[in-house]
Amino acid sequence: MRNINRRGFLKTGITGAAGIVALSPSLMAASSSEKEQEILYRTLGKTGMKIPVISFGVMRADNPNLCKAAYENGIKLFDTANGYQNGNNETMLGNLLKNYPRESFYLATKVKSAGVDREGKPSEQTTSEDFLEKFNTSLSRLQMDYVDILYIHDVRNPEFLEYKPIINTVKKLKKEGKAKFIGFSTHANEPLVIDAAASMDTFDVILTAYNFKQTYINELKAAVKKANQAGIGIIAMKTLAGGGFLDKERTKPINSTAALKWVLSNNDITTTIPGMTDFDQLDLNVKILADISITDDEKKDLTIAQAETGIYCTGCMKCLQQCPVNLPVPDLMRAYMYAYGYSNPAMAYSLLGELGTGDNPCSDCNACTVECTRNFNVKEKITDISRLVNVPADFLT
Amino acid sequence: MFFGSVFAQDLTLPELKGFKKALNYPVFGPDNLWDFIDGAAENYLAYGFVDLHVAEYKKGKNVIKLEVYRHKDNVMAFGIYSTERSPSFRFINLGSQGYDADGSINFFKGDYYVKIRTYSKSEKILNSEESLAREVAGMIPGDSKMPAVLSQFPDEGKKKNEETYINESVLGHKFLNGAYKASYQVGPDNFSIYIMISNTAEEARKTIDAYLSASGMESNDVAGGKYVLTDGYNGTIFLAWKENKVVIISGLSKDQTNIADKYTSEILK
Repeated sequence: MRNINRRGFLKTGITGAAGIVALSPSLMAASSSEKEQEILYRTLGKTGMKIPVISFGVMRADNPNLCKAAYENGIKLFDTANGYQNGNNETMLGNLLKNYPRESFYLATKVKSAGVDREGKPSEQTTSEDFLEKFNTSLSRLQMDYVDILYIHDVRNPEFLEYKPIINTVKKLKKEGKAKFIGFSTHANEPLVIDAAASMDTFDVILTAYNFKQTYINELKAAVKKANQAGIGIIAMKTLAGGGFLDKERTKPINSTAALKWVLSNNDITTTIPGMTDFDQLDLNVKILADISITDDEKKDLTIAQAETGIYCTGCMKCLQQCPVNLPVPDLMRAYMYAYGYSNPAMAYSLLGELGTGDNPCSDCNACTVECTRNFNVKEKITDISRLVNVPADFLT
Repeated sequence: MFFGSVFAQDLTLPELKGFKKALNYPVFGPDNLWDFIDGAAENYLAYGFVDLHVAEYKKGKNVIKLEVYRHKDNVMAFGIYSTERSPSFRFINLGSQGYDADGSINFFKGDYYVKIRTYSKSEKILNSEESLAREVAGMIPGDSKMPAVLSQFPDEGKKKNEETYINESVLGHKFLNGAYKASYQVGPDNFSIYIMISNTAEEARKTIDAYLSASGMESNDVAGGKYVLTDGYNGTIFLAWKENKVVIISGLSKDQTNIADKYTSEILK
């Protein structure tokens, strides 16, 4: 304490309360009413909800002040999930949002069904009771009587859309008013799942992965359009193509503004839910709230990013018909990924053994006829990885 | 050599008596973790996620699912564990720390964060789940101690089991990274203390300078100092440093200097 009296904690910001705010021009540029006029809103399908084009994917945010700043800058839809941070994310949001009028924001959460396998098929564990228990826990954490949108989390198989124990449960929750609108999120087989949902009269909203790197973007656009025409509101996630970096070392950041604007150039998308963890990101996204026009530089950045390939096969399967000797190219690319991506040559070795393609399966071809959608040099990668079968297994453990 | 730069990390997941082990999942890496845990993957990536091994143990209709996440180091493993921990859980003596909550047993040890889950309510299955957890905790390499920095937080008023490690964007600021955080309640006051340990005093000073600079302030101190500033987003901030250690306190008001100084002095002593 002696120290503090003499010199500690004596230096206050020279601009007092304006300290950091003064360095955040986007927050100081206009009064809130002026900003509201500038903000671009779109209507979320038949729900009638008018939502700014940028919303908030809260999943990683641990600082309520970040969400508060977003709210005060005009962002109105906050997206979380029952499972994010094992529930801590919903708790944090609930503690914050209870301070605001309930009708002044929208809240979306997701509940994952138990026992769904990798193909997205339900099992005996996929029950209404489990889903309801999780949803009620979410409401309790959020300190709310209802959520605006309740998503079934991670639907990747159209068959699941007919799975009565869960579908009837979300319908019931909507009828009871605990969920104003219902939908699902999807980030695998999106075109198929969305197309199927568009032919049903069950869902109000779909939250889909949507970004400039998706190899099946044309199919996805068509499905999104069909759903939109059926009155289903579409919200985009994973707009930065997975984590915001082009490489797994996280050294090549994606131009996030360009990526978001690209998504919003499709009028069938109502809003996006970029994840934000710092005020710089928030500032960038707040600017997009009022301006979604893509500059030439941003277009250039997207072109460069699209050209990046890397080592990760997307499993589009388009190569299967192209190889003259019918090699299982996606599986061989997976082996390559195990070795170089996961640093697990033992796993690659095991897969190569199962495939039985030998140590040089491309030896009969002078030139490769496979045109990879990710521009992989397929022959080079297959030749490289196949040599692994000659390495004694003991060396790989 | 062809595989000279490829490092295998084999992890043989244990058997569980009376259950059939199924390995239906690949080893997930940073680029396909989303395929397993969708949007939550981003949080794991921010904590130096390396790989994930998954196994399912089946006995009749009952399934126990084991997920073993490997992170870059012990601090990162604690970090991701701490973001998913709640003080309301029932804590058990497992690994460095673990808990049991509604059919889930989660713990961390060494570089690993382990999550085990069953939807069964049967006591026998739940006991098997706990046996599996103990088996995995025993086989995982690494220290069972909590990160040493946590012991630097003063005990008075500290909320139990709420300490976390934030790897990126502490307090929402890009220039603040790598902080241990503890929450406090002293009388009617709730506040948070962050401790950041830099590699050198120079690094610590750069951190301080970045925050002060963002507040329109400058530091002339060469070996340490204490400041109070107003952060337009986070309110009043007490900021102090000594050698390679930085302490930040948020949640107190400007006239609570005595509380801030008491805690800061104890940490920096």
